[in-house]
Amino acid sequence: MAQNIITFHNVRKEYDDQVVLKDVSFEIEQGKFYTLLGPSGCGKTTILRLIAGFIEANQGDIRLEGKKVNDIPANKRKVNTVFQDYALFPHLNVFDNVAFGLRIKKLPKKQIEQKVKDVLRMVQLSGFEEREISEMSGGQRQRVAIARALANEPEVLLLDEPLSALDLKLRKDMQYELRELQQRLGITFIFVTHDQEEALAMSDEIFILNKGEIVQSGTPVDIYDEPINRFVADFIGESNIVKGKMVDDYLVEFVGKKFECVDGGMGKNESVEVVLRPEDIQITSPEKGKMHVTVDTQLFRGVHYEIVCLDEEGNEWVVHSTRKATEGAHVGLFFEPEDIHVMRFGESEEEFDARLESYEEEQEG
Amino acid sequence: MKKKINWPNIYLFFVFILLYLPIFYLIFYSFNSGGNMNHFSGFTLENYQAVFEDKRLIGIVLNTFLLAFLSALLATMIGVFGAMMIYYTKKRQARNTLLSFNNILMVSPDVIIGASFLIFFTFLGIRLGFSSVLLSHVAFSIPIVVLMVLPKLQEMNDSMIDAAKDLGANAWTVISKVIIPSITPGIIAGYFMAFTYSLDDFAVTFFVTGNGFSTLSVEIYSRARQGISLEINALSALLFLFSLFLVIGYYFISQSNMSKKQRRLRKQHEEVAHIL
Amino acid sequence: MMTKARRVYSIPYVLWLLLFVIAPVLLIVYQSFIGMDGSYTLDNYKTYFASSTYLRMTFNSVLYAFLITLIVLVISYPAAYILNKTKHKQLWLMLIILPTWVNLLLKAYAFIGIFSMHGSVNHFLEFIGIGPKQLLFTDFSFIFVAAYIEIPFMIMPIFNALEEMNPSFISASVDLGANAWQTFWQVIFPLSLNGVKSGVQAVFIPSLSLFMLTRLIGGNRVITLGTAIEEHFMVTQNWGMGSTIGVVLIIAMLAIMLVTGEKKKKRRRAN
Repeated sequence: MAQNIITFHNVRKEYDDQVVLKDVSFEIEQGKFYTLLGPSGCGKTTILRLIAGFIEANQGDIRLEGKKVNDIPANKRKVNTVFQDYALFPHLNVFDNVAFGLRIKKLPKKQIEQKVKDVLRMVQLSGFEEREISEMSGGQRQRVAIARALANEPEVLLLDEPLSALDLKLRKDMQYELRELQQRLGITFIFVTHDQEEALAMSDEIFILNKGEIVQSGTPVDIYDEPINRFVADFIGESNIVKGKMVDDYLVEFVGKKFECVDGGMGKNESVEVVLRPEDIQITSPEKGKMHVTVDTQLFRGVHYEIVCLDEEGNEWVVHSTRKATEGAHVGLFFEPEDIHVMRFGESEEEFDARLESYEEEQEG
Repeated sequence: MKKKINWPNIYLFFVFILLYLPIFYLIFYSFNSGGNMNHFSGFTLENYQAVFEDKRLIGIVLNTFLLAFLSALLATMIGVFGAMMIYYTKKRQARNTLLSFNNILMVSPDVIIGASFLIFFTFLGIRLGFSSVLLSHVAFSIPIVVLMVLPKLQEMNDSMIDAAKDLGANAWTVISKVIIPSITPGIIAGYFMAFTYSLDDFAVTFFVTGNGFSTLSVEIYSRARQGISLEINALSALLFLFSLFLVIGYYFISQSNMSKKQRRLRKQHEEVAHIL
Repeated sequence: MMTKARRVYSIPYVLWLLLFVIAPVLLIVYQSFIGMDGSYTLDNYKTYFASSTYLRMTFNSVLYAFLITLIVLVISYPAAYILNKTKHKQLWLMLIILPTWVNLLLKAYAFIGIFSMHGSVNHFLEFIGIGPKQLLFTDFSFIFVAAYIEIPFMIMPIFNALEEMNPSFISASVDLGANAWQTFWQVIFPLSLNGVKSGVQAVFIPSLSLFMLTRLIGGNRVITLGTAIEEHFMVTQNWGMGSTIGVVLIIAMLAIMLVTGEKKKKRRRAN
């Protein structure tokens, strides 16, 4: 089993009486790609800055490789950061920027030159040593920033929304490159972003944060398929969310009908919320459909049509379909029991995990 | 929290002491009945009374303020249009040249400005007096107005002007209804700086003033050369009070002039302040 | 449409540029070639370069300006640095600026009292047993008062440079392992150099020309380029010679601007 390289235990951070991190605890394993995902102001950058040592926690333990580091200054920690604005020193050229940390360590000149050459090759910037930072494009600066951080051979690389300043095409390319780099180097990456697509594409593990708390953590697939609450369901991907009632285990009622589902372990007739992903719904004839709706509007999105339907109660149902629909037509919506995902109100992550485990065992047994 | 001696703040404290001690020294002795700045013999307001009874001095004070008011006004008008001219000069090379010329009077030593203006006025046959001093003050205040207004023009959203033109405004309407209102903070700051430049100037005025006309600075200089007179102390206390008001006014102007970027930077600085 | 309006509103500014910026500079150069009798001559320059008095005066003036600038820089940099870290720094900065709005002559006048034979400093010297000293009309008093007056003009540009600096440079430096000292010398100081340069400009040039200080504080012992110009224009009425020294002052000014100007050359790594 991989070793925990970073542990947070009830870490709390306040600014002027405003709590930005509410007693957060988590573990980060060696060699994985982690993403801290959340809207702005959720505390994700605060976590990063706590790990780097730029700010101090008001409460709680932060451990790096098992050692408490609360009082260890940033320059003594074996983590390095790629900053959102890159923070490349404008008075130094590419070589000097990358060599900055190595010179601080007073490595021999030959070794510095070799190391800088190596990391620049790693980020595909061989031959750019003598360039000034002002002569580099946004994407190239990004790579210099990564090279500068990697030159120090950190145990953990922290990346603070490093792709946000790049255009879409470049951003996609960099996602592949970062993922590939992490797998090649085998060190831990902690990546902060508010872009859910980026998080899903790159991560081994995602932590979703909201209002200073970790709402849910897990692999991209787990989080996408089993969002714990409305916030996560809304934040990750697109969702149709309606109010419902859990009639019994594996039977949920919404829009006035009962549907078979795969969730259980809740109280009888408990009020819940139901999520259906737009891509899980198919449009069929009214007879074959489990639900009857009217097509309201549709937009062509390139890969698919985004079709907005209204049911009798006036709920909106967004459907992604490769086939065009007719506006104003009465159609049926079809979905499988496993496409229905039921969420309880105010359920914590531990309760959620425990419940999932309990009825999954039941099903297997 | 550990209690330790905060050396940086102590240092800053001493710098402030150094900066203010002479000023407060002056003001302190303005209440001295002893007639010198060596020994405080007793409290009196006589020196202030003397200032207000000195008709010549009051006249000079009024002259000085009238001069500052007028020269700042003229300099602001010319400077605003100058800033617009520089801003709308599209060729980078030409614009930089214009800016360099604009800044010549900013960096020139006062004596050079004074001496060259003296030659200039004599050359043109302009009689030395109020008009030559006024022209000089307008001249050396223009560049600071330009420098205060230019950033505001650069911050201005250019599509606003296109929008105004699109809606049928002619050039003068665009200037008076769109450009001028959006650079008003810069104009006020420029006027303010021009006003204080004029008020503070000694060297240039000294060169071009001739015999009939005098400003406060020139008067203080000639009195100070004769030795200590506590009337000057009383006057300086009054002027200090006035500067204090000006500074408070300037503080509010500069606060509203601060760009968003500066505010953001300021916040970030507070965050890294503890590191070093 | 705009170009016509522009031509009209540009007139006063262009007139100002021609009459009050370009013409005076040309006139002072022209005047420097005019002798006492009003004829064209090179005598002024000949006199200047032949006279050890003028050359020594120029050298002393530059030396004084250099000393003043150095002292002001040493005092101001830490002050600006600390100022940038305080809370409510705008307020503190205003307090630094406030003394510059008190008329320079009043500040000089204050020092006449402070440094005088029976003034406060001498009271103090007497009290600690050193005994009164002649302070006024010495090199020391001139340098001290000039430095006192110039300090805010050095603090402001350095403060601005420090404030404009992206704070994540500091985070990045620490992140890469540098301690506070290394971060200061390798990141903060080089990045604030432009502020230092403009501060040096703002202090050095006036220090060459503050004739009223040399008159009031330095007595007639300290003579700077500025004093010499004032002397020739206002006292001896030898405008030609005064202009010649003016040209020397302009050249000194250009030299210091060249040294402290922003360099556009590309820095190459020294191998």
